[in-house]
Amino acid sequence: MRRTDEERIRDVRRVLDAGRAVYTERARLRGEVARVTGLSPEGVDLGFESLERDATEAELRTLVARAGDAPRVHVVLSANVFVAPLRALAVARAAAPRVTVRPSSRDPVVARALVAELAAVGDASFALESERDVATIAEGEIHVYGRAETIAAARAAARVVVRAHGPGLGVAVVTGALEDAADAVAGDVVPFDQRGCLSPRVVLVAGEPSRARAFAAALHERLGAWGGRVPRGELTGEERAEATRWIEAARFAGECHVGEDHAVAVAPMEGHLGVPPPGRHVVVAAASTPSDAVRRIEPFAPFVVALGTDDVRRVTPLAPARARLSALGRMQRPPLDGPVDLRC
Amino acid sequence: MNARIESDRLHARVRAMVRAYERAQPMPEPFDALAVDLARFQAKRVPGYARLCAARGVVPAAISRARDAPAVPTDAFKMARVFAFDAPDAFATFRTSGTTVGARGSHAIRDLSTYDAGALAFGRAMLARDLGAAAVVLVLGPSDAEAPDSSLAHMCALFARALGEADTPERTFFVRGGALDVDGLRTRIRQLRPGVPAIVLATSFALVHLIDALGGEALALPDRSRVMQTGGFKGKAREVDAAELRGLVAHTFGVPERAVVGEYGMTELSSQLWEAMLVDEGARSGVYVEPPWVRVVPVDEETLTPVAPGRIGIARVEDLANVDSAFAVLASDRVRRVDRGVELLGRATGAAPRGCSIAIDEMLSRVE
Repeated sequence: MRRTDEERIRDVRRVLDAGRAVYTERARLRGEVARVTGLSPEGVDLGFESLERDATEAELRTLVARAGDAPRVHVVLSANVFVAPLRALAVARAAAPRVTVRPSSRDPVVARALVAELAAVGDASFALESERDVATIAEGEIHVYGRAETIAAARAAARVVVRAHGPGLGVAVVTGALEDAADAVAGDVVPFDQRGCLSPRVVLVAGEPSRARAFAAALHERLGAWGGRVPRGELTGEERAEATRWIEAARFAGECHVGEDHAVAVAPMEGHLGVPPPGRHVVVAAASTPSDAVRRIEPFAPFVVALGTDDVRRVTPLAPARARLSALGRMQRPPLDGPVDLRC
Repeated sequence: MNARIESDRLHARVRAMVRAYERAQPMPEPFDALAVDLARFQAKRVPGYARLCAARGVVPAAISRARDAPAVPTDAFKMARVFAFDAPDAFATFRTSGTTVGARGSHAIRDLSTYDAGALAFGRAMLARDLGAAAVVLVLGPSDAEAPDSSLAHMCALFARALGEADTPERTFFVRGGALDVDGLRTRIRQLRPGVPAIVLATSFALVHLIDALGGEALALPDRSRVMQTGGFKGKAREVDAAELRGLVAHTFGVPERAVVGEYGMTELSSQLWEAMLVDEGARSGVYVEPPWVRVVPVDEETLTPVAPGRIGIARVEDLANVDSAFAVLASDRVRRVDRGVELLGRATGAAPRGCSIAIDEMLSRVE
């Protein structure tokens, strides 16, 4: 029998209950999450603050409306930030009475913990599975979270509908006071060491180039302070290599402030922005007019999942289609009103 | 000293090296002597290079050997101007093929004669030293008129003029409007005179397209013909293993596998590396040699310092023919020095990224 919206909301609230239980248990999970994610223990603590534990009725209604309807959802989790499974499970549960979950083989901790908590409160609608060929799935939908090749492989093999949530990046637009904005943007950059698709890697500063330079200096200072409180975790060799190349190119192209745990570059007025790799790396560019701002982000607009700003009203018309809009400092905490990635 | 005069003198010194190579004479000066002067010139005339030196704590006047000079990452060619002259003085500007999230790397060149001299001298030596005057050049690529910003099209056109019999573009270049003219190539090859060898210049993806289109049909070339293949696939054709492709190319054109010679070039460089299959019996595929005015140094991808002998590193290419841009370029290819040259091991693929933050490579592959 088809569930009503109220029943779906009730079921999603159970997922939030499980989230609260996992959050309570975070000290126990901290070490394992740090080991599998490479985040510092302090970074894990910070990341847990982004684990959804509550939502308004209106947000859940929106989530249910966006989730669709299926007899069963198979959730395939791969590359993602460690708290992301909660939202994936919430969306799946809103869509279907039965959910199977294949956690990321590299980072299964929170997904397993959530399903265990759900079982503990009597919700038997979730089942974990470790390996399953998506081609054998004959009913329902598959929700895939991962990289383009993961999604392409699932789509190629699947016989049922595939809803895909790919990777992306965040962009911040600063129009007002630089010091406040630097505080807020630093708070958006640090969580998950920028490995999430909501993390800003590009900041556009409205005004003259001198404002962009001043903002970059302020952000550099704030990220340095954050590094003292929440050290960056271990980057892989490939991530370190990519960072080295980007920093060298950024030094050539303009200013680049390099800290122990971060780097902030100032892009030249003309030329390619040089989107930095994750790992607390940010490029700051001046945008003299709204159309200039659009021009600067247009090349990578399809990949923008989140746009944060200190002036939502003015910046909304500039936002790439389906990017989540939020205030600076809130980019990592979108309401639980659907998938993080609204592009699909 | 006036920048142009200074540049002209540096160009002349590089061309003197090229001439010495062509005449099998000793190099007129040590590699490092010219490299040091280039580094100082570029630090003085290219603002970005001055910034890079300063950021790395390198004082240009104190540079005493090539390896002391910072290398410019290829990404910088997308982000800023990398040339030591006024923009209107650019004689040619070559651009990278990828759109790279909205930007193509560009390499502006004021004096192409040094590029041409070096490319031709080493290309002839590696590909056509034994052929004499009579050869036919067939290019599985666009003409330089159709692709004026492609350094590969420029080099192929240069080779067509210098290594082959004079002919029309229609009988020389077989990619038109982005499409490979298989029928035209087939007809042209059937017209070739026995005893006049052909030199086929092609990208790997053009060769794959040709082989797929021919469906097993062979287009046998005259004796002593040879094929230059260059570049990767960049999503423009199905990926084919290098050894398999070499075999397929040899079969298709009826040439020995050792007559299929790899060339490695980059838009950001002025010189090329070649497999020495035709000139060195001991050479093996996948190992490339540099001309005397180029040095490939594998460097640690994090510290950018040279790796121990025999270890894999990222290619730092010191190309003295890059007079007016960046004589030291940091490529993204992994390389290893071996007995007879340098092994090209392709781009570092990297581990699967942790998290859903999009990787640069993924953005590029989806935009290109």
